[in-house]
Amino acid sequence: MTFFKVALSNLKRNRVRTLLTGLSLAVSAATLTVVLALDRGYSSAVTDDLVNKTGIHLYITKEGCPIEAASVIAQGGLSPLYVEEDILARLATVADLEAILPFKLFAVTTDDGSRTDIFMGVTDAILSMKPDWRFAAGGWLKEDDSVVIGADMAQIEFLQVGQRMYNENFDREFTVTGILERTYSQDDGTFFVPLATAQAMVQREGKLSAVGLKLADISRMDLVQNQLRALMPADYFVLGSKELSEGILQFFGATRAIMIVMVFVAFIISVFGIINTMLMAVLERRREIAYLKCVGAGRLDLVRLITLETTSIALAGSAAGALLGMVLSPVAGNLLRTFLVAYVPSGPIARPEPMIALMAFILCSIVGLACSLYPALRAARIVPMEVLRND
Amino acid sequence: MTEHIIELHDVSKNYTRGVETVHALQEVTLNVSKGDFIAVVGHSGSGKTTMMNIMGCLDHPSSGSVILQGRPIEQASESALTRMRRSAIGFVFQQFFLVPTLTVLENVTLPALFSGNHTNGRSRDLLEMVGLGKRLNHLPGQLSGGEMQRAAIARALVNSPPLVLADEPTGNLDSRNADMIMELFEQLNRDGVTIVLVTHNADIVKHCERTVHIEDGRISQ
Repeated sequence: MTFFKVALSNLKRNRVRTLLTGLSLAVSAATLTVVLALDRGYSSAVTDDLVNKTGIHLYITKEGCPIEAASVIAQGGLSPLYVEEDILARLATVADLEAILPFKLFAVTTDDGSRTDIFMGVTDAILSMKPDWRFAAGGWLKEDDSVVIGADMAQIEFLQVGQRMYNENFDREFTVTGILERTYSQDDGTFFVPLATAQAMVQREGKLSAVGLKLADISRMDLVQNQLRALMPADYFVLGSKELSEGILQFFGATRAIMIVMVFVAFIISVFGIINTMLMAVLERRREIAYLKCVGAGRLDLVRLITLETTSIALAGSAAGALLGMVLSPVAGNLLRTFLVAYVPSGPIARPEPMIALMAFILCSIVGLACSLYPALRAARIVPMEVLRND
Repeated sequence: MTEHIIELHDVSKNYTRGVETVHALQEVTLNVSKGDFIAVVGHSGSGKTTMMNIMGCLDHPSSGSVILQGRPIEQASESALTRMRRSAIGFVFQQFFLVPTLTVLENVTLPALFSGNHTNGRSRDLLEMVGLGKRLNHLPGQLSGGEMQRAAIARALVNSPPLVLADEPTGNLDSRNADMIMELFEQLNRDGVTIVLVTHNADIVKHCERTVHIEDGRISQ
């Protein structure tokens, strides 16, 4: 016979109430897990897209707003603003640049809206910016009508090296010269074509989406950035890849604030629900608690008993909620993807890590435990003589 | 010299009910000796339950002194009274107060849990003694009223208290079960347990060795 056994037996008295109390904590834990997974996931996905997996340290663009710039740079967004190709000559004079990648990026959606193809017109400079690229088959671009495709596109289109690929939007045929190994980045879903070909496809000869720059020495980033700003025309911007991702994440702050408010509301509802339920459970058992005092239960014994009851529910509810949150996070990530007005990264938006679930579990358990204190103190304060006389 | 388990000296208890002051007990003096089997009788509102609560360390008197096993307790702290209840007093109530989700054995062991004793060997012996040896794992809802009260008596004895206080212990039982319960109390008394029993049932009184009448908060006889 233990206190825990008595606490569990008390919980069995009203199973529905116990279940609902546990569920309210489970909802809080699940919401917290999902929000933390989304918060961390979005930050990581944006950073991966724009910093870690590009190999590009700086961008020359005409877009000052980081969201617009990212849209143009990473997703082929449409913009009336173009970088003129002739600035490449100016960039060539900067000694600290290891590689200069002028590129033309655009996205084309099929007529039925079922798919969007991303084309990137590039030069050989991209090979020095993507040292991790490996070819699953074939090799680099050879002719004007050559195309190198990402792993996903090869799989979706059933394409092989040497095969001809027809694109109805541009009424143009390409020859597949290479298929990239999977990189788990946006590259997996991109068609890489020669820069001039890409410009011709959208009738933007001599115009670029942006220019990516790789520095020989990353520690000289600030110096080079200042040097480039002085060198570029006034309406051009020099954006660091980190600066770009941080700008987007700042914009995401508003979404994050809404999510945090959501968690807070879930917590408040849950806190009042648990206190109310446990208080009701205590008040319903006043006579029994009074009797327990008669037979020698001290205040601490009763606090321990009620706290154990609530803690049992809190632990079970929080654990179930944290696990549920792990399962639901990817679903929430996909849902959020459809609602995001800011930059939508290519990688998974939700990253449910065990540490996040553990954190949600611990926090919700602590909240549950805290909720038990008031009902437990009420139980401890019951005066047996008053209850037995008045009830 | 007679050894007193509990002594009440000029004990008064006043309550405030709205603007009215209720004199529930007025200068009551009573000595309960070891081995006594006392019936406290009186009309409803006469003060017998108030006296029982004071004897059971559940309430403090407004004035007078209460001595339990040689120790004055009228000014004792809440925790000291709790310790006294644990070790010196067993309670039996009319409504049984068995926890519905615990088995009979677990219910009887419950007071021992608060004393730090988690074993149930004595509980089994007591349940055998009250004739519930085959009902150990039943839930209270599966027992008859008489059986529930027998389980409650076993529970009152689990910490081996020298004094058992019973408040209308047969109030919810039919006459056959009431007789069985009273026979059990008589047996316990013969085994050395001091029993103070509150009742207004004349049939119950005849089982007791001594009767204390209480009227308007005073012992009348």
